[in-house]
Amino acid sequence: MKRYVMGIDFGSTTAKTVILDLKGKRVAHAVAHMGAVSGDGVKASIKMALDQAGLTQADMGRTVSTGYGRRMLDMADKNYTEITCHARGAVAMVPGARLVIDIGGQDSKVIAVDDNGLVAQFAMNDRCAAGTGKFLEVLARAVEVDLDKLGELALGAREKLKISSMCATFAETEVISLLAEGHPKTDVMGAVHAAIAARTLGLVGRVGKKGPVVMTGGVARNPAAVHYIEQALDMPLILPELPQIAGALGAALIGLDDYRAEYKHQITEAEDMAREEQMAEDKACIPGCRGVPELAVDPREKQPAPRAGGLKSLLSTLQNNL
Amino acid sequence: MNIAVQHATGKKANKLQSTRIAGKLVNDYWEMVWRAKEEGKLICWYEGSAINPFLEAAGICWVHGEAYSAMLAARHQEAKAQQVAEERGYMRELCSYARTHLGCAVSNQRLRGDGAGAAPDDDDLTWKLPAPDMIISAYAYCSTGQQWDEMTSRIFGKKVPIFNVSIPWIWGSKPDSGYLQGQEWEETSDYVTRQLHEMIAFIEKQTGKPYPWDRLYELMADIKRASELRLEAMDLCTAQPAPASFFDWVVSIAPINNLPVAGVKDYFETVLAEVKARVASGEGAVPDERYRLFFDGIMNWNKVGWLANKFANYDAAVIAGRYTHMAFWQEPNLIDPNAPVRGMAQNFLICPNNHSSPILIKLIMDLCRKFEVDGMVIHASRTCRAFTNPQFLIAETAHRELGIPTSMFEGDVTDESFYKDEILNSRVEAMLEAIDSRRIAGAA
Repeated sequence: MKRYVMGIDFGSTTAKTVILDLKGKRVAHAVAHMGAVSGDGVKASIKMALDQAGLTQADMGRTVSTGYGRRMLDMADKNYTEITCHARGAVAMVPGARLVIDIGGQDSKVIAVDDNGLVAQFAMNDRCAAGTGKFLEVLARAVEVDLDKLGELALGAREKLKISSMCATFAETEVISLLAEGHPKTDVMGAVHAAIAARTLGLVGRVGKKGPVVMTGGVARNPAAVHYIEQALDMPLILPELPQIAGALGAALIGLDDYRAEYKHQITEAEDMAREEQMAEDKACIPGCRGVPELAVDPREKQPAPRAGGLKSLLSTLQNNL
Repeated sequence: MNIAVQHATGKKANKLQSTRIAGKLVNDYWEMVWRAKEEGKLICWYEGSAINPFLEAAGICWVHGEAYSAMLAARHQEAKAQQVAEERGYMRELCSYARTHLGCAVSNQRLRGDGAGAAPDDDDLTWKLPAPDMIISAYAYCSTGQQWDEMTSRIFGKKVPIFNVSIPWIWGSKPDSGYLQGQEWEETSDYVTRQLHEMIAFIEKQTGKPYPWDRLYELMADIKRASELRLEAMDLCTAQPAPASFFDWVVSIAPINNLPVAGVKDYFETVLAEVKARVASGEGAVPDERYRLFFDGIMNWNKVGWLANKFANYDAAVIAGRYTHMAFWQEPNLIDPNAPVRGMAQNFLICPNNHSSPILIKLIMDLCRKFEVDGMVIHASRTCRAFTNPQFLIAETAHRELGIPTSMFEGDVTDESFYKDEILNSRVEAMLEAIDSRRIAGAA
């Protein structure tokens, strides 16, 4: 019996690999930037993770792939969609999450997660790169700013400007027009991020707004995107430590479940208990999970405080004093 | 958890054999249309509502715009007509049914009308439609419909007489409103009925003959019976596995909606017999039915067989849909063959886009319950916003009332360029994975 599983998120612009041991502990992860669905890129990501862990592909009991290129990987035993894997990974990283916002290179998605951590409903950008990492990349190029610096720049926005088009090409035209009118880059980039937030809010509306909300994907590393989305939602976003690997982690966790189910008679008591504890802790979307998920309610959605002087307020005061 | 969707297993849809007859009926009909001018027939172009029995009874050759565009798309011959229309100035966001059909009108004028074009190629179907002698505009809900007719009129030099039938939207907002009931329903039924009688006077003027009412009664008796047979066959798909799929009913739209009435009753008798036989033997529309789905949205006509196989490959039986089950003479009981006009008006009024959302959504939820579906696939047609307008509400209600996941993909009725395969794959697979994980959770 082997002791590790691998999850690979073969995305549109980056490849992510996660290796877990049989207790579900992450032993390695890697993110490789690449051209569109690049075979070399995904190989680099896998090699980086294997080298980090000091393992080889032969040490993997299960390999599960997700992302645009999920069907292209010969070493994958199974493949699942980004929706299933991102939900699974995000809930594992942020136990109790009820809404997952994932903005990646080519698509943005919002996933509502039910009480059991299962995908309840989802919505994705339909037509183009509207509101995605690619959208930001195109516009960063237009204003000659490094993508990594874009968020910091946009946070300095003072004047509210409007970018109305969500088509990357037309938005670039709008950006150029605003710059030509003399508006500073900070304000223009603030408007770009506000446009992404508005687009995200639309997707959230389609699945239902509820919290806690976790944000994953590469764009979660952009502080302005986080700021504007929080503002649009009027809710805080919880950011995992490694937002980019949510899909790969979810894939690895699904592979782990699968492998453990097949070899359950060979798994040690210690491994079994360690895994049980983690499952109970993360209340992740694992059918048969021992933990009963709590109803996660965003603090801002709690019942409003009783009106001062009202009957409810009086009753509340009486109850508190009894 | 083991919820991987299997791919590339090569499973194909087990299509109803009887639907092959529909292909022949469609071909025969268009052959008849293409030679109608040479045979001295009057030609009427129309879109939307199925007014063809009125025309057929009067001996007028009818050309249904959407049907021609759909036929071109199904034969993968739509691109040229669309290109011609775009060259003429009709933008790409315009309804692709209209754009394709207008491209055919432009081609007709270039090659037959003003003689300014090149010699026609007999294999090219874009120019073959006979020019209209009259246009009847009778479109429920779709605002493009009337503009489409007006544009057609312009292409033919504004020389073609037009008659307009106004089919009002059913608001459903009065206290007694409901599906097929209430004051609004009765008033709108009367309103459209009056106009259809005026339309008959228009037809009499064009033909120069008294309207042959007895012939209409015969045709409508046959349509009523064909509709009953079709609905009976559809109802049998509550069986598990479902003996026929949404895609079989899509292929069966032309016979009930726009083909010559002779042969339609026989067609649905054959379909019903095959469906009954399949139920008796437990034969399904897909080789291994694991999921039962509802399809909301108008059809991608250049993808019918392809989509049928795609879903079969997912072990997903797409059983019912708004487009097939809520349209095309779907209320035969309203038709009195001896006085059919009011019932025809009422069937035109209940075009599935023409209801207020509460009525529309209730009908859809009822179908989902009846066919015991596990999920809903929603096709948002890029150039038919009439059909897509309520789709977020439909998805939200399906989730809330039925607890089923939905999956929306963008495509189009006849413009293939709006369809992206990976968009559909990701969304449908994610929905099927969600269904599987719920089943496993439910069993745990």
